[in-house]
Amino acid sequence: MTHTQHRWGMAIDLDRCTGCAACVVACHAENNLPVSTPELAAEGRTAHWIRIDRYYQGEFPDVKVKYMPVLCQQCDEAPCEPVCPVYATYHNPEGLNVQVYNRCVGTFYCANNCPYTVRYFNWFAPQWPEPLPLQHNPDVAIRPGGVMEKCTFCIQRIKRSKEDAAQEGRPLADGEVRPACVQSCPAEAMVFGDLNDPESKVSRLAGNGRATKLLEELGTKPKVFYLHKAT
Amino acid sequence: MATAPDLLPYDRIRADLFRPLSRVSRRYMLATLIFFLVGAAGLVAWGFQLRRGMGVTGLQRPVFWGVYIVDFVFWIGISHAGTLISAILRLTDAAWRKPVTRAAEAITVFALMIGGMFPIIHLGRAWLFYWLLPYPNSRLLWPNFRSPLLWDLTAIVTYVTGSVIYLYLPLIPDMAQLAEHNTPWRRRLYGALSLGWTGSDREWHALERAMKLMACVILAVAVSVHTVVAWDFAMALAPMWHSTIFGPYFVAGAIFSGIAALIVAMGILRKVLHLESYLTRRHFDRLAKLLLLMSLLWLYFTMAENLTVWYGNEPKEMAVFGARTRGAYAPWFWTTVFLNFVVPFVLLGIRRLRTIAGATIASASVLTGMWIERFIIVVPTLANPRLPSASSFYRPTWVEAAITVATFAAMAMLFMIFAKLFPMIAVWEFQPHPQEDD
Amino acid sequence: MYLIAEFREKDTVAAAIRLLRAGGIAPADLDVFSEEPIDLPRGVLERPSRMSLVSVSGAILFGALATAFIWWTQNDYRLVTGGMPVFSFWATGVITFEMTMLGAIVGTFGWFLWESGLLRKRDRNAPVPTVDPGAMCLRVRCRGNDIAGALDALRRAGAGDVQREGEV
Repeated sequence: MTHTQHRWGMAIDLDRCTGCAACVVACHAENNLPVSTPELAAEGRTAHWIRIDRYYQGEFPDVKVKYMPVLCQQCDEAPCEPVCPVYATYHNPEGLNVQVYNRCVGTFYCANNCPYTVRYFNWFAPQWPEPLPLQHNPDVAIRPGGVMEKCTFCIQRIKRSKEDAAQEGRPLADGEVRPACVQSCPAEAMVFGDLNDPESKVSRLAGNGRATKLLEELGTKPKVFYLHKAT
Repeated sequence: MATAPDLLPYDRIRADLFRPLSRVSRRYMLATLIFFLVGAAGLVAWGFQLRRGMGVTGLQRPVFWGVYIVDFVFWIGISHAGTLISAILRLTDAAWRKPVTRAAEAITVFALMIGGMFPIIHLGRAWLFYWLLPYPNSRLLWPNFRSPLLWDLTAIVTYVTGSVIYLYLPLIPDMAQLAEHNTPWRRRLYGALSLGWTGSDREWHALERAMKLMACVILAVAVSVHTVVAWDFAMALAPMWHSTIFGPYFVAGAIFSGIAALIVAMGILRKVLHLESYLTRRHFDRLAKLLLLMSLLWLYFTMAENLTVWYGNEPKEMAVFGARTRGAYAPWFWTTVFLNFVVPFVLLGIRRLRTIAGATIASASVLTGMWIERFIIVVPTLANPRLPSASSFYRPTWVEAAITVATFAAMAMLFMIFAKLFPMIAVWEFQPHPQEDD
Repeated sequence: MYLIAEFREKDTVAAAIRLLRAGGIAPADLDVFSEEPIDLPRGVLERPSRMSLVSVSGAILFGALATAFIWWTQNDYRLVTGGMPVFSFWATGVITFEMTMLGAIVGTFGWFLWESGLLRKRDRNAPVPTVDPGAMCLRVRCRGNDIAGALDALRRAGAGDVQREGEV
């Protein structure tokens, strides 16, 4: 599929990532993700649209930890999409894997077919301890129990920025759209932008020699690029 | 070689086979009630799950498919008892099939009814299951026919339609006979269901022709249904699921468990309905040989599946292979091999042990083994995804256990009710004019 | 009016049918009743059937309609998923197959109801004989001047008791 106007992508510099998980917290706040309890977490009921995978190298005490923030890779040829019987997940013209919560019936098939395991399910109706419900983001739907959800690349922010630019009658500038995780990264390890624009920062990083794609061999054509020096 | 019932006078056959319909004993009522209560308990568990959310199951990321999908594959597999076996035997004109087919076809219909419920039980929003049906939603969007789940839906709808008709057609003449002398409400029931069957040669010709055609069609449908069930897994890009062997492997496994279910049902019917002179050792012996053959075929497929993975040594697949054969799920894997191969091989391979009791025990073993085998196929793959940091372990909860047990009770209950309403053996097929020479 | 004769042997029924047909009675006016299917020798009372044809036609019809329907729904609202084409025979093959088979099933069952006469009784008042197990009853529909010939044929073939039913 050709993406005529925008083709959103992200670059994550693993050599800069400190694993601080600020992106995870920011994502929870931005996208109205429920907060878990220790008991629910032990049962595997947590949901984080972005998570920090940790990989350990070497033996104690000489251990090196590698961090990898993993979010939906917004694949161009996403395995999650064709298996959905009700089109709850499909490919939008800007290259995003869109999840339509209202259409989802919860077959779980998309999550099984995601090689990155980045899809999260609402096992129960979501709950927040007081006063967290007061800080819900009005731009993001609260998902009912029984539906699948995942990272949207903060589609509400993309939309807002596009509307702002259209109102001011100017093209969208590079770096104007910043998803919550990108905005909150203190190490500035994450960059978001339009891959259709060859001059954008993300396009230049994607062409960098350090850029790789996660599980690229599966042919899913992800739009998240991981930068790390070859070891 | 004539089968045993051919030696009995027709009146005696008719009396023997119609007798269970007219008597309801206290023990029958008690057993049906118990099965009903167990089934109702499963409904309560499902209600609890609907109210609280799917979190009451043991499912967790990344194991999104668990016991419900295992049950689904298991029951759809059992449904292959009937149509497939009865269709093969009908097409090959095996005269010994006659006392066997009705029970087999009934198993098919009930197993499909039960198995078909599981994809719905399993849905996150089960009350919206009808969104999968082909009608446009409020924004005029139709369902996604590219999804294997819609393939599944069409396959199961076709299979249910076909097997109900396949069970119904040969019941018509029996019901016409039953409508003749009976209690008033039964006379009305059978009269309506037999559509005014008179026994004219036109009707018999049409019936025989329809059964021949239906046998051909149902055979193809049965094979395709379990292939499509297998493709639900094989279409996914998951290690050890994404395999071409899955279609035939599942079909073989389904026939395997179907025969086992049929032998167990026959073993019970024989005792309970006193059909000792109809379901003889010869029937069990032949079905047992078929079961033994399928056991060997199952072993062959299991070998082919696992050896290719082990030899290929691809890390993501080896993670699943390891979890199956020496990791957390290894005890279950080896139990499967024992129950599906060792037990039937010994009990059915040695002629002295291949008795009615031996065949029934071996079949019960196969049924257990095949349920666990489906678990071994579904769960370890999901528990060991491509990114190892997401790995996890799945343990079912009481809700899943209760619903699973309830479906077995429901199967028993439906079967018992069926046995009181319809003769378990097609009476008209034991005609006093022997036409098929064996 | 109808004549009903009871027989015990398959051969005598066959002989009776041959004599009746030689006497000008059409096969459509003959019915053999029994409690189990009877195979009469070839050429005695053939019942030509279009069931296979209907079954195959139903299969082709359903399969083609289902495929066309999928093509239409997919193109009516074009959504791309997983980089797959909007319509492809690979992805719809299973549904085409299943619906083809459903067409065969529906065709067979529908034609069974039609051809067996269960849905379409030619004569609702036609008498239906009660048949003992192992016996066969031959019902002959005949008009005015055929009756005597038919009665004679039945007697010659060896029918014991011949009943007359219905208006002449």
